[in-house]
Amino acid sequence: MINFEDELKKFHPSLEIEEAEDAIYNQDLTDIADLLVGLVKEDKESQADKEEK
Amino acid sequence: MICYNCGATLTHNDFCTNCGADVARYKKIVSTANLLYNEGLDKAKVRDLSGAIESLRQCLKLDKTNVDARNLLGLTYFEIGEYVLALNEWVISKNLRPSKNIADDYISLLQDNPNKLDVYSQAVKKYNQALSYCYQGSLDLAVIQLKKVLSLNPKYVQAHQLLALLYINDEQWEDAKKELIKAQKIDVGNTITLRYLNETRNILDMDDDGTLPYKGLDTKSRKSAGEGLKSKKGRETVDVYPSPSVRSSSKTSTTIINVALGILIGIAVSYLLILPARISAAREGVDESLKAAGEQLDAKTAQISSLEQDLKSSENQIDKLKEELEVYIGENGAMTAMDSLLGAVNSYLDNPDDMQAVAGYLDQIDEETLEGTSESFVTVYRLLLTKIGTDVSASYYESGMRSYQAEMFEDAIKDLTKAYSYDNSNGDALYNLGNAYRKSGDIVNAIDTYNKVIEEFPDTEMATRSQQYINELNVD
Repeated sequence: MINFEDELKKFHPSLEIEEAEDAIYNQDLTDIADLLVGLVKEDKESQADKEEK
Repeated sequence: MICYNCGATLTHNDFCTNCGADVARYKKIVSTANLLYNEGLDKAKVRDLSGAIESLRQCLKLDKTNVDARNLLGLTYFEIGEYVLALNEWVISKNLRPSKNIADDYISLLQDNPNKLDVYSQAVKKYNQALSYCYQGSLDLAVIQLKKVLSLNPKYVQAHQLLALLYINDEQWEDAKKELIKAQKIDVGNTITLRYLNETRNILDMDDDGTLPYKGLDTKSRKSAGEGLKSKKGRETVDVYPSPSVRSSSKTSTTIINVALGILIGIAVSYLLILPARISAAREGVDESLKAAGEQLDAKTAQISSLEQDLKSSENQIDKLKEELEVYIGENGAMTAMDSLLGAVNSYLDNPDDMQAVAGYLDQIDEETLEGTSESFVTVYRLLLTKIGTDVSASYYESGMRSYQAEMFEDAIKDLTKAYSYDNSNGDALYNLGNAYRKSGDIVNAIDTYNKVIEEFPDTEMATRSQQYINELNVD
């Protein structure tokens, strides 16, 4: 049976046009590819450090 | 596909032929993202918009630069009424690929139609307001607001769902079902829609079967029945519900409702038939009253007009009488003249030598007023003048000349005028009057008076001198 109170909690206010700009700027656009590139860079840097030592 | 390190186009190798970077994992990520995009596209094609959104968001989490996925996500958001989210995706897409991007067209379509954009904006605002009403417990207001939202944007899936939820809460199952079907037509795979729809259909099917008697039950009974349904899922529990006592009470209440409805219909029909006739009769009565009142008003108006005319003519008559009365009792009226003449006669009879006293009374009589008086009045007046005229004239002449010699010309003019008026044969008085006018600077009267001297007393020294003065005055 549907519980009205619980179901109501699942509804959230929609974004209004005035909030669009903030939403775009605050959107986290980091993707898995970014993470991978970061990891590869870190790996390379750590290898370079080891070689220096 | 391009290298994440140097931007060169990648080949089938697991490394970049340009910079040598290891791109095996990167390629897998991008391939998975493409796979998710294709999945999203397939779902969108069959209007499983929720599924499409989920796949496309996953795709973008793997590869944010997938512009096609972003554009499609925007389009999907737009289709379910979330136009701000759609704009977000298209703006980001346009930033990632500024040229040859379909997002540009989508944004232009919205921006070039400000009215439509305003309607969408209003719909979102009203939806948020409705949600706020729900949180506050004002569910009726929320329903009204959501209906407005859907009239502005019929594709707003969340609004359909929320309205359906409110209907479900209010046990308006048919209305809830209608809203959910509308929502399902827009987004077939939305789990919330499907769940609500399933629940609603279960309830309605039970009603239709007659095995679960919801119709005609009071709210309490319905709620308890609903609770039963909650504990025992699905249609398998249907056999548990039928209850003879509930059913019989249902029949009784149905009968009562039918009887009440019959009475109400009877009242309504009688009102429909009788009321118009009564209204018509009442209107006729009012019309007649208005007509009579109008006639009375016209009669009164005519009477007032007639009275006003009478009043005006009476006022005119009063003015005329006042004017007539003024002739008798005014400053120069006949009555005043009569009083003055009586005073003069009385004074003359008392002391005939006191010419000044008699003259004082006679001075008050204006020659012009004699026209409005009787013949006897004029006779008495002329007689007195004959008796005292010469003496009075001489008296005024003396005083006039004294004033003249003292260069008090105003007094001289006054006295000499009277001297001539009492005795027209007094040429000296007239001649010296002319001199007094001349010396006082009143040239016009001086010439008139000298002309009178020449006319009344021709061939005299006074006439000669008068002519000389006239000539002098004309030269000046």
